[in-house]
Amino acid sequence: MFAQGGVIAAVLIPVHVLVQGILGPLGIVPVVDRHYDTWISILGNPIVKLYLLVLIAAPFYHFAHRLRYLLVDLGVPAAKGVPAQVIFYGGAVLVTLFTIWLLLTTAPLF
Amino acid sequence: MALGWWTRTAHYFWYIVREFTAVPLALWMLWFVVEIQRAQNGPKGYYPHSSTGFVIFSVIVLLFALYHSTTFLSLAGVILHFKVFDRPIPSRLIVLSQFGLWLVASVVIAFVLVYFGR
Repeated sequence: MFAQGGVIAAVLIPVHVLVQGILGPLGIVPVVDRHYDTWISILGNPIVKLYLLVLIAAPFYHFAHRLRYLLVDLGVPAAKGVPAQVIFYGGAVLVTLFTIWLLLTTAPLF
Repeated sequence: MALGWWTRTAHYFWYIVREFTAVPLALWMLWFVVEIQRAQNGPKGYYPHSSTGFVIFSVIVLLFALYHSTTFLSLAGVILHFKVFDRPIPSRLIVLSQFGLWLVASVVIAFVLVYFGR
């Protein structure tokens, strides 16, 4: 999951940050999340829901791993322990579960 | 190990920066989750992030995201090994294919995000 999350973060996240975080808010290009009707419409698409689940959930397993080892490298040995693993990887699991719930309840399919 | 060991050489510093990219990227993705959640508020309750502060935050995150992408995809040549007719594919070609995939995916996603906007 570390590698897959890393690849997904590398390939997919920069363009979302550029378009939805910079170009859209600055009004340089029209972006799907700038208006409720276009945003809710695309969020109702099952392929988009699946894409968003992968886009959001997978990188968090990568982030959890990197953050844990960042703390180890910065001199926090407790980050190697089981409680830290539960916190970091458990956090990634929570983000996954919350995202699933969010995508199922926002513009529901049924 | 001394606390500031990673400030001794540029190599160590950029290694820690690479590991740190997870923090701004995770924060931005959490914002993205909030953006989806706001759609549950209905047409009158929905408002996308538009502040100057958010744009500045996104510019900083983009720099970290690009650093993560270039460093992570460059590793593909070390990690991935393929053979065609019993001849190994050069690692440079594998890295190039990863950057090509990144470019194509970025163009497709940008097109969808803009095309369905108004």
